[in-house]
Amino acid sequence: MIVARQMLALTAVGLRSIPRRLGNSLVIVIGTTCVIAVLLSVLAMSVGFSRTIQGDARGDRVLVFTRGSDSEGNSVLSRENLDLIQALPGIRTDAAGKAIISGEVLLVAPVIRRNGRDAYITLRGTGAQLMQVRPELELVAGRMFRPGLHELIVGRAAHQQFKGLDLGQVIRLHDGDWTIVGIFAGGDSVRESEAIGDATTVMTAYQLTVFNSATALLTSRSSFAKFENAVRIEPSLRVQAMTEPEYLAMVSGPMNELLESVAYLIGGIMGIGALFGALNTMYSAVAARLYEFATLRALGFASTAIVGSVVIEAVLLSLLGAGIGIAVAYGAFNGQAINMLGGSRWDSQLVYSLSVSPPLILLATVLACGIGIVGGLFPALRAIRVSVADSLRMD
Amino acid sequence: MNATTLVWANLWRKPVRTLLTALSIAMAFLLIGLLQGVNAGFAEVIAAARRDVMTIDARVRGSPPMPIAMLEQIRKVPGVVTVTYRAYFVADYRPPLSLAAFATEPRIFFSLRPKLAVSEEALRAIERVRGGMLASPALLERFEWKVGDRVTLRSRELHQDGSPDWDFEIVGVFDAPGKAYFGVINYSYLDEARITNKGTVERFFVRIADPDRSVATSAAIDRLFENSSHQTRTHSDQERAEADTQRMGDIGFFTNAILGAVLFMLLFLTANVTRQSLQERTSEFGVLKALGFGDGACLRLALAETACLYLFAAAAGLGLAALLTPFAREISSSIHVSGAVVARGMGLAVVLAVASAAIPCWQIHRLTVVGALSARRA
Repeated sequence: MIVARQMLALTAVGLRSIPRRLGNSLVIVIGTTCVIAVLLSVLAMSVGFSRTIQGDARGDRVLVFTRGSDSEGNSVLSRENLDLIQALPGIRTDAAGKAIISGEVLLVAPVIRRNGRDAYITLRGTGAQLMQVRPELELVAGRMFRPGLHELIVGRAAHQQFKGLDLGQVIRLHDGDWTIVGIFAGGDSVRESEAIGDATTVMTAYQLTVFNSATALLTSRSSFAKFENAVRIEPSLRVQAMTEPEYLAMVSGPMNELLESVAYLIGGIMGIGALFGALNTMYSAVAARLYEFATLRALGFASTAIVGSVVIEAVLLSLLGAGIGIAVAYGAFNGQAINMLGGSRWDSQLVYSLSVSPPLILLATVLACGIGIVGGLFPALRAIRVSVADSLRMD
Repeated sequence: MNATTLVWANLWRKPVRTLLTALSIAMAFLLIGLLQGVNAGFAEVIAAARRDVMTIDARVRGSPPMPIAMLEQIRKVPGVVTVTYRAYFVADYRPPLSLAAFATEPRIFFSLRPKLAVSEEALRAIERVRGGMLASPALLERFEWKVGDRVTLRSRELHQDGSPDWDFEIVGVFDAPGKAYFGVINYSYLDEARITNKGTVERFFVRIADPDRSVATSAAIDRLFENSSHQTRTHSDQERAEADTQRMGDIGFFTNAILGAVLFMLLFLTANVTRQSLQERTSEFGVLKALGFGDGACLRLALAETACLYLFAAAAGLGLAALLTPFAREISSSIHVSGAVVARGMGLAVVLAVASAAIPCWQIHRLTVVGALSARRA
């Protein structure tokens, strides 16, 4: 108890003397600010990416694609396969008793970036039941495409991020111009980075005879096992079924790992650099106060109280830096939309916004505390290792 | 006592402080080296790509393959020296292992892809064996094949006898940069035996006589097919390399933003240490001046000390970056901590040293002997 009170009193003294050694103390603050701001910005990319990929994933929605292929883009599904699949048990039916399933084909559509460069977005051909399969999609402008016509609807994120995707504008595809007739919103999902048209019309245009994959709604989450089993034992099908969350976790894994390892590599190196800076600062702060500490010890202050107060000071300074760093990252990047490779097909673009989430803020705080504790502890230990008499004689 | 000894002794006056400062500088330069290495790697890829070699793709990606008959039309375009083509052949080998092979005219193909190194012997072998395949070393290793093996691959592309099985003989290897898992096969062997997509190719390769005419020639080729059902888009290799790096997202922006943060942190940190260390020794500089050292000599001593610290630490950091490059390749395959990167890094170290020592040095420069000596107990 006494030690705690001594510690608080010493911390208060230390903090009040900071203005006299402002430059030194700012080293800790600015060091942590830079580390946290950089680490959070890169991690915010990774969090935003997985948030978008997982967007509106539902456990009762399944994806069916060729066994052995690593994504729906590399899969091939014939019309006969699709007919077989929609008769399997477990699939939800609409009011008319029709299975809620969409045979889909994936291509790419050229778009223009805001800097004038070419890029591609995923072009998805879907079945007539698109809106039942994906009830989260909602037209925010224009109307639905009509099968048989060269019409597309585009996602809101793609519409905002790329040029030339307004209502009435055209995209040049293989057999000519396709008109954009609608803009849709889809919560937070990958779909918002895509252009969607009628599967049969798109396949005719590209002289394709097969789908890539099929997406279906199940009666419930629990019917997945039944459906999956039915898919596996049907002898004429060489396909596999995955729930949407499972599938998305599989395809986004490598990109997520890449972003995270970049973030931790850069953040780690900067963090070590900042730690050395903090050590330096606290060593000189302690050196300047050796006489003072010796006097306090002679008066009967506990050594632990002195060590504690130095560590607390370092932690407070680095937390201040972390706070500024979080504010910078949050203010500059949170919600900022960027586009990067990662769409559903080939190297199409995925639009997503950076997200500085609460777990990231917590991580930043813990890291800053770590820098403060290590940066304060070693110098503080040095302060009490010197004998009282030696310190007092030094001046 | 000469100046070097004096600088060195002053540097190690407070060993802990010097060491910690040097370590944070080294960490910063490790990061600078790696990030600049990424940028330099991309720039090298672009610069190494040729302007006189061009590829011709379907204008809209994902379009059906192009008829091989277009070859003769392309050949007639003024300036075109060599033309060849390639089709994709994708097949499984003991799933889930699968491979992609380029079906082409191997000799001409390799002459247009200088990054793929192949021996004359391997070229002769594949010309001799119609069902032959040249493989990259990585492919051989993954599939546990060796030259001379006969292998059966299963493809979605059916053989004319109705089976999905295709036989190949591994007749040689070629070297490809990085880990490349692909093979090269004879187009004639594939095309004669396949049922679908007969007589079509996915891409043409062209070499033109004059690299400076690449823009005009690619426009001429695209114009040729403008009104056909197979519109084309022709790019030189250099344009494609540039577009590839662009598509990764705005890498340049991110690396520069991070570099900015690192430099700011570093400058602040060391400027502070330098100021502190020199200020503590105000009276010593007074002594030096009293002994007859000129203002300029004192200034040089202080600058030399900071520069020394920076140069050693920066060299260590950049050296570490070069050592870590093989590991960093896992993340960015084209990273290259080149001599130019190191040279620029050392230049930066000098600039930072001068910048962080500027204010304290100026103060020392202005110091009078009396002022400095009386500052002792202040």
